[in-house]
Amino acid sequence: MLFHLVKKDLILAKKYLLVMLIFAIVAPIFINSKLGLSNGSFISFLITVLFVEYILFNMISLQEDKYRGSALLCITPHTRNGVIKAKYVFILVIFIACFLLYNLAAAIGASYGLTRLSIYSVGVALLIISIFFGLLIPVQTKFGYEKTKYIFFITVFLTPFILPTIIEWYKSIDININFNLPIPQSIKVWVPFVIAVLIASISMVISIRIFSKKNL
Amino acid sequence: MKIIIKNGSERPLYQQIKDQIKGAILRQELKEGEKLPSIRSLANDLHVSVLTTKRVYEELEKEGFIITIVGKGSFVASENMEMLSEFKRHLVEKKLSEVWQMARTLGINKEELYSMMDIIFEEDDE
Amino acid sequence: MKAVLEVNNLKKELGSFSLEQLTFSLKEGCITGFIGVNGSGKTTTIKTILGLYPKDNGSIKFFGKEMKKNECEIKNRIGVVLDEGYFYEEMTLKEMKSIIAPAYTNWDESVFLNYINRFNLKLDQKIATLSKGMRMKFAITLALSHHADLLIMDEPTSGLDPLIRNELMEILLDFMEEEGKSVFFSTHITSDLEKVADMLILIDNGKIVFNESKDELLERHALIKGDNRLINEHSTKLFLRLRQTPFGFEGITNKVDQVREQMKDIIIERPTIEDVMLAYVKEG
Repeated sequence: MLFHLVKKDLILAKKYLLVMLIFAIVAPIFINSKLGLSNGSFISFLITVLFVEYILFNMISLQEDKYRGSALLCITPHTRNGVIKAKYVFILVIFIACFLLYNLAAAIGASYGLTRLSIYSVGVALLIISIFFGLLIPVQTKFGYEKTKYIFFITVFLTPFILPTIIEWYKSIDININFNLPIPQSIKVWVPFVIAVLIASISMVISIRIFSKKNL
Repeated sequence: MKIIIKNGSERPLYQQIKDQIKGAILRQELKEGEKLPSIRSLANDLHVSVLTTKRVYEELEKEGFIITIVGKGSFVASENMEMLSEFKRHLVEKKLSEVWQMARTLGINKEELYSMMDIIFEEDDE
Repeated sequence: MKAVLEVNNLKKELGSFSLEQLTFSLKEGCITGFIGVNGSGKTTTIKTILGLYPKDNGSIKFFGKEMKKNECEIKNRIGVVLDEGYFYEEMTLKEMKSIIAPAYTNWDESVFLNYINRFNLKLDQKIATLSKGMRMKFAITLALSHHADLLIMDEPTSGLDPLIRNELMEILLDFMEEEGKSVFFSTHITSDLEKVADMLILIDNGKIVFNESKDELLERHALIKGDNRLINEHSTKLFLRLRQTPFGFEGITNKVDQVREQMKDIIIERPTIEDVMLAYVKEG
């Protein structure tokens, strides 16, 4: 049943989906060449994913707010919990799609210096997405689309400007983990994934709680 | 079978419907074993509540006019001779009492009425 | 007759409005009309019993079971038509169905297509382009394609022309032909109920005024018309609602026998549901 709720989100984002998928291939190559960093692949991927996820999620939230379709879904055996869970699954699905398309971009754009990402980098990207949407979804569930759209709109469009900070942070987290966790490299690369899933799960529980008290 | 409901009537709806079905059974317009419409379709056709038609069928069943078999529907009960003859007697009695009322108001006494009856019988015999 | 829905002491506050200690039940095999003027609490009641509005207090049982513990089972057995539709307008009918249908364990595609044909709906049409009547028909189609036992509708007829309203009533009666089915629908257009309703529930200002068989209710009340001379301090008390014009009076009473006894030369008529409803609704 969850699958069909995710499908609903995909249908709602249908108009933008194709454009965004093409964007997911072109953007990393473009951003990477503009940044001119020696190792800009990760940042290119992160910006692309954040942008694609945000645009699509925003598109869906806009329509959910306009048509209040969750009321219709909740009178069917689809449950309130399912409606919320589907949002998180949707973010994950788009992330995976972006990752796969990035690999395609890396193959095409190798001459521009775009390289394939390490598992660790993908994990960190997922972690950042998880933090961003882990905050966005509960806050939006609580206060509604209208009140929250500007906050996150600003956040996303500030990202290019706070990039240097993110890069610094990315590097420092790398070092920290190296120092603090004397665990084998093969396990260490999965740590961001674990944290990402943890954050998403906590966020999901909070969103479900908030949504269960909503008047639809 | 014909059922006509009078809306302004003092008689409650269920009573009106019940009497007319009863009448149809006694006049044998509805034959023994014949299936009656379901409570829902009777209610739909008469534009009354299904609760009303349900009550009608329940009372008719209690009085022995129909039998209801769960899942099959309601049927006209096998003819009850005693009930039928009593009903017929009742009809005639009603007419006779009207006649007696009329005779009395016109000053015709009991003996005169008897002889009138005798004449009618004789004419009929011929 | 078994109860398909039992509501006990239901409480729900919603801004300045509240449902207070709502208690009523729906009988199996009946079409129950839920009547009341605009703003009396019909939609709030329906949304609360469906769980779209979390209740503050009280109990709601469908088919004898609590919604919380048996959500899927109950929702599989009810079909719902909401007043505003709540469709994703950008979707086509087919897309909308493809999201709704998989939720039901007993979705019947042939029933669905049957209604689609009967209503002349086109599956690849966008919901946004449907007229109000068509939208309602699509909502009914979605609500009736999983063999629901209880159909709940909120103001399905409002804003529709009499022809389509009549068609809807026919569909309801068709639906009721099968044994064990029940319908609960709210409306402020009581004429729709004259023909089809078995039971009537009146809500006013968040409280249930009556819950009674339609025929009994209408028999218990009468519309009385007569000369103004008959109206005095004493006889006024016999009426729930009385309207006087220079030409005579018209009133609704629930003391039919007393009126018959005490007032001569009057016209006694069967009231409409609206007459009775207005007699109980407090103005303003």
